[in-house]
Amino acid sequence: MADFDRGALVTGWSFKPSSVSFHKLSALLTLALLIFAFSFGNDAFFTVNNGLTVLLQTSVIGLLGIGMTLVIITGGIDLSVGSVLALSGVMTGLSIKAGVPVAPAMAIGVVTGAVCGLVNGFVITKMRITPFVATLGMMLIARGLALQLTGAAPISRLGEAFGLLGNGSLFRIVEKTGGIFPKVVFAGIPYPAILLAVAVVGAAYLLNRRQSGRHIYATGSNEEAARLSGVLVDRTKIFAYTLSGAMAGLAGNVLMSRLVTVQPNEGVMYELDAIAAAVIGGASLMGGVGNISGTMIGAFIIGVLRNGLNMAGVSAFIQQIVIGVIVILAVYVDQVRNRR
Amino acid sequence: MTTPLVEMKDMCISFGGVHAVDHVSVDLHPGEVVGLLGHNGAGKSTLIKILSGAYKADSGQILIEGKEVHIHSPRDARHHNIETIYQTLALADNLDAASNLFLGRELTSSLGFVDDDAMEAETRKIMGRLNPNFKKFHAPVKALSGGQRQSVAIARAVYFNAKILIMDEPTAALGVHETQMVAELIQELKKQGLGIFLISHDIHDVFQLCDRLAVMKNGQLVGTAKTSDVTDDDVLGMIILGKCPPGAVPGPGAIAEEAASG
Repeated sequence: MADFDRGALVTGWSFKPSSVSFHKLSALLTLALLIFAFSFGNDAFFTVNNGLTVLLQTSVIGLLGIGMTLVIITGGIDLSVGSVLALSGVMTGLSIKAGVPVAPAMAIGVVTGAVCGLVNGFVITKMRITPFVATLGMMLIARGLALQLTGAAPISRLGEAFGLLGNGSLFRIVEKTGGIFPKVVFAGIPYPAILLAVAVVGAAYLLNRRQSGRHIYATGSNEEAARLSGVLVDRTKIFAYTLSGAMAGLAGNVLMSRLVTVQPNEGVMYELDAIAAAVIGGASLMGGVGNISGTMIGAFIIGVLRNGLNMAGVSAFIQQIVIGVIVILAVYVDQVRNRR
Repeated sequence: MTTPLVEMKDMCISFGGVHAVDHVSVDLHPGEVVGLLGHNGAGKSTLIKILSGAYKADSGQILIEGKEVHIHSPRDARHHNIETIYQTLALADNLDAASNLFLGRELTSSLGFVDDDAMEAETRKIMGRLNPNFKKFHAPVKALSGGQRQSVAIARAVYFNAKILIMDEPTAALGVHETQMVAELIQELKKQGLGIFLISHDIHDVFQLCDRLAVMKNGQLVGTAKTSDVTDDDVLGMIILGKCPPGAVPGPGAIAEEAASG
């Protein structure tokens, strides 16, 4: 491994700049390059308001990416997050329609997501089904449930309060002009972005500073070694999948709240965006490698690309091609570096 | 004689009809090194993994200091101060030496934070004793050499005040100098009153380090003997033919005529 490490040895630096941080650095550089390039292409790109828009748009992938990172570090994968996101939103919507106030209804949605994750964890550890297959099954089950419960029809008229989480913002400054549309001085920090920031800090703290985080890395590094060292491997995995489900539930609420409508067919293929974000950020599907900040950079690379290409008038189809190429390049760069 | 530190009585375990360990009884006294010998697949590693909690025996009894214990997981084994150095080392490749040393029992601050600084300081202390040349405290263990990895695994086993130490081929990946280091360590631990099970293929190692030896063949115990009572050739005969020499106590796996005369 790592020419980098050997280089560090020779020059007597500390070993901190490991392959992980190297990857993060290159991802960060890519992100900076993208922002730089798009800023030249369009004056409206590098503005506070557009920055906030990107934040808002990225928050859903970001939330899913956090859960996905935990799961990927254990050496697994969670293909169900897109569907779980929809099911969670549906549960929240149905609860509100049944008369539950918004906040507890959203909690029901998040718990629904966590339960889906818990089931994933049990199927994987107790029934010994590979994560790919187990979560593929959950992907179909959750999507089917969401569609069945709603008859595939969107749930609308959920009230203004439901839209607050997705559309509200902190420190919004509005100037009354007397006209119909007040002048917005500062659009405010969107609640989803704040939620994302809190989730990022929480997950990074969990991974780096808690025993369970250490055990997540150990499980993905060498499952047998972790078990022999007294790590409760099954419990660690169930924990990771449950958190991933809960994050999907949270993301579902944010997304549906933004639309102020519950769409049971929302979130198709989101799991792939989340995986892409984690992989661009340096997580290894072999397990044991990855971190939250890397995934966030990955999520923002995807978010900035979408936003910038949209503003440049590039079609959604081309965007997919570009993101696909970037995912492959990110992994390739990492491999070439590790092979040397 | 004193109460044995460990007594494994009549242990049996089978995997899909194969009797990997078949009515094997061994014991270990404080300050004693017992060598476990046998061909690959003779069942020595399996026997030892029962004691370290990696496998659960189908039947048999484990006594520690005369008291029967039930070991269902590596955690249980550690609870009884049994530490194991596995042949595969059982290290998490992407974590550094300190994280591996404390894996499963991380030091935490009062708020439940993982205390990396304290763990590193402790790791530096013990590594300073075991392998003073070890400097790569921040590298993931996959970046370490075989000998360095081995010393991390050994440090993990001896750090936590083990009473019973299991070493599965501890010198297989080591050079001459490092092997000598392990030999010295074993002598030192012996003096401290630890009991050590040493699995080895190297008969010279066994004669140099062990007080007694137990030979297994096809999952059965051929016999046990004091190293001073038998010769190299006797032991080879036990391993290869299952023939129990006069100086040894035959077990159920000794070939028929010997068992009859013994």
